[in-house]
Amino acid sequence: MTTNTAVPERDEVLLDETGARDLAAAALTLARRFAAGATLWCVAPSWEPHAHHVAVEFVHPVIVGKRALPAVALTGPDLVDQARLAVRPGDVIVAIAAADDPQVRSIMRRAPAWGATTLWIGNGPRPPAGAADHVLWVDEPDPLTPATGRFVLRYHLLWELTHVCFEHPGLLTPDTGGDCAGEVCVTCSDEGRLAEVIGPAGDLGGTLVRTATGEEQVDTTLVGPVAPGDLLLVHAGAAITRLDDEEATR
Amino acid sequence: MSSDTGFLYPFLEAEERDADRLLADLAESARAKAAESAALRRRTLAECAGLIETAAAELARRFAAGGRMYVFGNGGSATDAATLAALFARPPAAEGVRPLPAWSLAADEAVVTALGNDVGFDLIFSRQLIARAREGDIAVALSTSGNSADLTTALAEARRRGLYTIGFAGYDGGAFAAEGTVDACFVVRSQSVHRIQESQALLGHRLWAAVQRHLAAHGGGPR
Repeated sequence: MTTNTAVPERDEVLLDETGARDLAAAALTLARRFAAGATLWCVAPSWEPHAHHVAVEFVHPVIVGKRALPAVALTGPDLVDQARLAVRPGDVIVAIAAADDPQVRSIMRRAPAWGATTLWIGNGPRPPAGAADHVLWVDEPDPLTPATGRFVLRYHLLWELTHVCFEHPGLLTPDTGGDCAGEVCVTCSDEGRLAEVIGPAGDLGGTLVRTATGEEQVDTTLVGPVAPGDLLLVHAGAAITRLDDEEATR
Repeated sequence: MSSDTGFLYPFLEAEERDADRLLADLAESARAKAAESAALRRRTLAECAGLIETAAAELARRFAAGGRMYVFGNGGSATDAATLAALFARPPAAEGVRPLPAWSLAADEAVVTALGNDVGFDLIFSRQLIARAREGDIAVALSTSGNSADLTTALAEARRRGLYTIGFAGYDGGAFAAEGTVDACFVVRSQSVHRIQESQALLGHRLWAAVQRHLAAHGGGPR
């Protein structure tokens, strides 16, 4: 437990160069999504007030004259179900949570199938590479870090930088930069697109799934029986692989 | 802007296409603001170290005697108040750490909207204190201006009822510092709402840690 109330001899390094670059990239992505009509959905299962704080920053800016932007906190039980219902293609989800938070991990895995861009703020061990489009991590192991103002600084800066981006309209057009980082991008690689099972497709036969571009009917013969919520890779109208938890989080 | 002067003001061009320069500027700006926040946090801790100890000793005494804590603020400060209440009431499990009874008074939408609608927004917190609080309890108000009427009204009510009152403010402390209803007034001397909140969170964390240390040193006592 941290009980030292002594004043540190020098200033903390609250944001290193890598952290600043990550934040800049996240802000530009967020500004682009807002410019295209996105809503920002905020989740923070263990420290819910942070979700509310992020939302109020964007909805009711502290600086007069800055535009109000759509941001909403999702709180309470069943966050995955809440997010699934709320998110529309093109939206953004920001999570403030540890890397092992099961609901946030599930939301992050599913987000590509919902067409959402993801930001993840947290501390302690980092999420695996590619777990979110933008990882804004505080490399501080203390479990009390969420209550020290360091997360508040991150999302304050995210808000401030996002509004700077709005002063550069030429850079806010879509597709001036992609979110496909890393070696595999399941939303656009040849391997297939991520899909979440909705249920049987009724008279159409096959299975109704949700992908980044909307709902579609696919053939699931290759992967066997599926249940609502299952994650699949689909290609050319057929599910070719099933993603299990281990595979998605490795 | 004409094309022959456009090179002087590349960021004002709607045709701007190179994001690298913007990203570099954003990162540099973020670093500068984080450094500003860090300097303010250290300066604030240095100014408030004595007051943290004084307030923590009184809080520990009151918690040990069965006192309860009510925390409140508006907007972002309401969320920071909720974080502080959660830190006191549900701290991450660790040896020697005691959960302490603390609540955010903005948490109940029925109570807040009923009071706001029926008796006025300025009374949303003071009326809850009238209903719930007892002598021996603690009231904590978070604000950047130190001037919000709902908070100053609640602090005055708390003081009348024998609560120990704590105020977090920015700028010059505002009414929190001037009105004489705040027993421990923590002022973060900055003009930026964001930087003020970042330092207030750290003060809250240090206050909590000091309370825990006092309780551990002097034993629990009745709850």
